[in-house]
Amino acid sequence: MATETLKQFHRLPLSTYVDALRFLPPLSAFDRYVVVASFNSDSDETSIEIHALNPSTLPILTLQSSFTLSSRISSLKVAQKSLQNPLIAASTFAGSLHILFPNPIDVSFESEVSIPEKTLHLGPISCLDLQENGSACVSVGEDGRVNLISVGDSGLDYRRIFDSKGLVSYTAARWASPTEFATGGLGNSLQWWDQRRPGGPVSQFKGNWAQGATSGVVHSIDIHPSRKHTCLAGGSYGTVFAWDLRRPQQPIILSGIDVGEPMSSSSISESEVWEVQYDTFMSASNRANISSERVLPVMICSEDGILAVIKQGEEPTELLAENCAINSFDIDRQNPSDVICSHEWESIAFLTRA
Amino acid sequence: MPGIVTVYHPSGHDDSSSLVPFSADTNSPIVYPLHHGLKSPIAPRLSISWSRGNSLRVSVFRSPETTDTVVDEVEVGGKVVELKLSGEYLDSEINDAAQWRRIAYGSVSPFAHLQNKKNAMAALSELRHSAPYDVDWSKYVLEYSREINSLLGSRESSSTSLIEDPKMVLENVEEPSCLKAAWELLEIFYADKQSQAWIPEQLVDWLADYDSLFSEQVPSVHLILVEFQAELINIQAVEDESAYWQAISSALAVGWLDIVVKLLRLHGSYQLNQLGNRETENGLVEAVAVLISKMPRMRADLPDGKLGECYYNKSDFIKAWEKWRAQITKLDCSAFWLQCSHHHTRENLKLLLQIMLGNTSTLSSATFHWVELYIAHFLYIRPFTSGLESMHALAQKCMQLQPTSSPHKLMRLMIGILGENTEVVLAECSRSFGPWMIAHATELLTAGSIQAEILLKEERHNLGGVSIEESHRLVYAQVLSSHALTWQIAPIYLISCMKHGVGLLEILLYKQPVYHSQVLLKNIEICRLYDLDSVSANAMKIAGVHHWKHGRKGAGVFWLQQAGDEVRLNRIAQKLFDFVGKSISDESFEQWEGLIELLGSESRTAGGLEFLHKYRDFKKSLQQVQDGVLTDAARKAGEALILLMKNPSTPQRFWLPLLYDSLKLLNWQGRPLLNVSQTNLLLNKLEELSVARLRPDFVEVGMPAGALNSVRLALATNLGCAILEE
Repeated sequence: MATETLKQFHRLPLSTYVDALRFLPPLSAFDRYVVVASFNSDSDETSIEIHALNPSTLPILTLQSSFTLSSRISSLKVAQKSLQNPLIAASTFAGSLHILFPNPIDVSFESEVSIPEKTLHLGPISCLDLQENGSACVSVGEDGRVNLISVGDSGLDYRRIFDSKGLVSYTAARWASPTEFATGGLGNSLQWWDQRRPGGPVSQFKGNWAQGATSGVVHSIDIHPSRKHTCLAGGSYGTVFAWDLRRPQQPIILSGIDVGEPMSSSSISESEVWEVQYDTFMSASNRANISSERVLPVMICSEDGILAVIKQGEEPTELLAENCAINSFDIDRQNPSDVICSHEWESIAFLTRA
Repeated sequence: MPGIVTVYHPSGHDDSSSLVPFSADTNSPIVYPLHHGLKSPIAPRLSISWSRGNSLRVSVFRSPETTDTVVDEVEVGGKVVELKLSGEYLDSEINDAAQWRRIAYGSVSPFAHLQNKKNAMAALSELRHSAPYDVDWSKYVLEYSREINSLLGSRESSSTSLIEDPKMVLENVEEPSCLKAAWELLEIFYADKQSQAWIPEQLVDWLADYDSLFSEQVPSVHLILVEFQAELINIQAVEDESAYWQAISSALAVGWLDIVVKLLRLHGSYQLNQLGNRETENGLVEAVAVLISKMPRMRADLPDGKLGECYYNKSDFIKAWEKWRAQITKLDCSAFWLQCSHHHTRENLKLLLQIMLGNTSTLSSATFHWVELYIAHFLYIRPFTSGLESMHALAQKCMQLQPTSSPHKLMRLMIGILGENTEVVLAECSRSFGPWMIAHATELLTAGSIQAEILLKEERHNLGGVSIEESHRLVYAQVLSSHALTWQIAPIYLISCMKHGVGLLEILLYKQPVYHSQVLLKNIEICRLYDLDSVSANAMKIAGVHHWKHGRKGAGVFWLQQAGDEVRLNRIAQKLFDFVGKSISDESFEQWEGLIELLGSESRTAGGLEFLHKYRDFKKSLQQVQDGVLTDAARKAGEALILLMKNPSTPQRFWLPLLYDSLKLLNWQGRPLLNVSQTNLLLNKLEELSVARLRPDFVEVGMPAGALNSVRLALATNLGCAILEE
C-alpha cells in the first residue's frame, strides 16, 4: 500500500463529537468556512456550527455561528442556490429536516426552514442529499420511505414518492441529475430512481455477490456529474464498488470482497466505509491515467481510521491511518488538494496534499 | 433495593418537581434533588433504573385512574426520561470533561502499543528461556512514558514577543498540572533507566517546572519570585531591597541559575552613571554572577538558556567541582570586600557564596519547604547522592529541617517513591490522581522492578482472584464505559485483563443500545477485533427483533439473517405468510420484491423465508405465461410449481392458492406440462389438504367457493392427458 506525502497535516482538537462536516461553498475569495455537525456530550446539545478555517502554516478553526438542534444529525449536505448564496441541509436521528441559510456576509444563520419529526419518516432519516443548486432534496430512511422535498422561497414542500412500508430500508441517497437519483440499502443493494417514471425504482442492483458480501450495508453513494451512469458506493467490510447502469449486474469492485476470488482485489479496510467521494484532486501523473474505461479516483474514510484514495487497477494510496474511526470527510472543491475529516475522538484533521 | 422513592413537590414550583432518592442510611440521609423536567402531576407509578453510564432512567407510568383527566398531549404509555448525573473528577485541576476525554483518547494508542510489545516479548522470551526484561524493554517503557507525558500538556512558553523584557524574571508559561508533575516524577524514577545516574539533576529540573504547584499550600521560591516580579517595576534601586536579595538567594538555593544571573545584572552598579564610583562593587557582583554561571553540573546536557557547565564523567566533575569551590573560597577571602561600601550588597553577596559553599543553615533559610531544601542539598552539599536509600535518608533529614503540617500530594508521592514502597505510591496515585493515572502508571512501576511486578501481578483473594494491576485497569475501564463517547475505548483496557476482561467486555457490549444502527455497527466492529462472534450475533438478533417489532421488516430480516438465527427467521416466516397470504393472488405482491431481493440466493440462511424466494420465481414465470403464450415459460412455471409443492418449507395453507393460481398451467392447451408422477404428487397434496380441512385447527384461506373442485378437475384432466401422452 502506498502512502501519499502530505504537504500539511494538522489535528484540531474540539471538545465536541463531530457527526459530519463539509466545506461551505466559498463566499468570497479569502474566506474559507467549514460546516460542522457537532454534538456536545456534556450538555447533550447538538448544533450546526460554521467555523472559519485559516489555512496558514498553523490552521485554526474559529467558531463564527452556531444553530442549535434538538436531535443529533444523521446527514449534512451543502449546496449553492445561486452565486454566493449557500444553504445547508441537515437531517436528524429524530426524523426532522432542517434547511439553513447562512448570511453570505458574516455567515450568521439568518433563517431556517424545517419539517418536524414524524412527518417525513417514521424514526430517523438515514440520509439526505441536496441538489447542486439547492432546489430539491431527497430523504430516505430505514422505514422504507423516499421523500422529495422542494426548497422554495416560500418554504419547504414535500412529496412521498415511495413507501416500502418497512420491507426495504434505505441507508444512503444521492442525486444523479435533476430528475434521477440513486439510493442504497441493506445487503449492498442499490436502486436507481427516475422522477419521470414514478411508482418505484427504475433499476435495482443486487449483484452476483459471493457469499458474505450480501451482508453489507451501503453507507454512502457518490455520482460524478460527468459520468452519470456510474454509481459509486461504499459500505461494510471495506467494500467499495461502482455500479455501471449499462452493465447492471456486474459491479466493479474497487476494494473489499471480490466475486469468486477473494484475494484478487486488495482491501484497504476491513470495516465500515463511512463515506465515499470522487477525488477531484489531480496531479500531473494522475491526469495521464484517466481513461473513460476506468472508474475515476475515489476517496474513502473508514471505521478503522483509514483515509485513502483508490484507483481502479492500482494499489490504494493511504492518506491517513488513525487510531480511531474517521466518520466523515470533505474535499474542498476550490482547492481539491485540501481535505478535512472528522475523527471519532472529538477532533478534526486538516490536510493538504502535495 | 432498599431505597424508596418519593415524589417531592418543592413549594412554589408547581410546574417542576424533583425526585428524592431516600437513602437507607437513616443516620444522615443526604438528599440530592434531581431535576427531570417532567410536568406535574406525576403519576404514582414510577420506575427508576440505571441507564447507560451515569444516566438514570426514570419511567413514569400513566395511572389507570387518571385516564380521563390526563391531557391529550401526554403519550399513551407514559413517559421515560433520562437524567444525567455529573460526577466530580478527582483531580480538580482538570475539571473540564472534554480535556479528560482528550487525555483518555490520547493514551489509548501508547497503552495498546506497549501491551503489544509486552506480549511479543513474552512470546520471545518463552522461546529463548531468558528474562523478558532487557534494554529494549526499558526503551519501550520510556517511549510510552514520554508519549503519555506529552498528552498532559506542554511546557512551551506562551509569550511570543521577540524582544526580551529585562525585567521579566520568570518565564510566562502555561500553568502546569499536578498530574503532569506526578507523571514526570514517576518517569524520572521508574522509566528513565538511562539517566538514572542524574536523578538529582533531573529533580532540580523537575522542581524548576513544578515548584509553582506547591504554592497553593505552602510558600515557595516560585511564589517569592512571582511576588518580587510584581513589585519590580516600582523599585528604583533594587539592591536596597531585602526582597531582591531574598529572591536571589532563594533562586540560587534551588539552582535556577539563569534567573539568579538575570537578577544580579539588575543591580544598580551596572548602570552607566554609577559605574565610576561603584566599580569595586560592580566587580564583586559580576564575579559572583560569573561563578554562578560556571557552576559544574553532573549531567549530559543543559537546555538552552540554562546555566552551568556540564560534566558527563564523574571524575571530571569532581575536579571541576573542587576547582569551582576553591574559586568561591578565594573570592570569599578576597580583600575587595572591604572596599565595597554598599552594605546590603556586601552581606548578601557573601550569603550567596555561603549558599554555593553548602552552608546548611543558609540553605534552610533560603528555601521554603523540604523539597526545595532537598534540591539545595543535592546541588551544593551532596551532588553524588545516588541510590534510593541514601536519597530517602536525605529526604527524611530535610523534612525534619523544614516540617510541613499537611504535606502536598506531590510530596506524599515523592516520599512513597523514595521509600521504595510500591503500595504507598499506588495509594497516592489512586487517591490524588484517580483511575486514569493508576491504570497507566502501573506500567512504569513494574518496569524493571521484580518486587513491584510480583506485588502488582499476584492474584489476590480479596480482589476476587485478580491482580492489583488488573483491578485498576478494570476500574478505569468502568470509568470509560460510563460515558457515551469513551465506552468504545474501554475494550482496549478490558482485553488486557486476563481474568475478567473478556467477561466484562461482553457485558459492556450487551449493555449498548444496539437498536441504533451506529451503535450496532460499532459493536460488530469491536466484536470483529476481539473475535467475539457470539456476542455480535446476539447484538444482531436484538437489533433484528427490534426492527421487526417496529415495522421495519426488511431490516429485521436482514439482521436476523446476519446473525444466522434460524429459529426467529422461521417464526418471522410464519408471520410474513399472513401478510403474503392476503396478497398472494393480486398485484400488490410486487411490493415484496425488495424484501425478497434481500433474501438473496438459496445459499443464504433464510429459514422458512426460502419459500418467498421460490414463490417469487414461480410468480414471475406465471406472469410471463399470462403475457403471451410461451410454452417455455409455462414449462418453467410448471417446474417451479412442483419445486414449491415438494419443498417442506412451503406452508400447507398456500397449497390451494398456489394450485388455483396455476390453473392455466394445468389446463394447458396442447401437451400437458406435468407428467404422471408430478400430477400424482399434486393430487396427493390436494387429498392431504382435504383431510387437513377436517381438523379443527385448520385455517381457511379466502378462496372462491369452487376453487378446490376446479383444481381437482384440472388435475384429473391433466392426469388423463399425461397418461395418454406416455
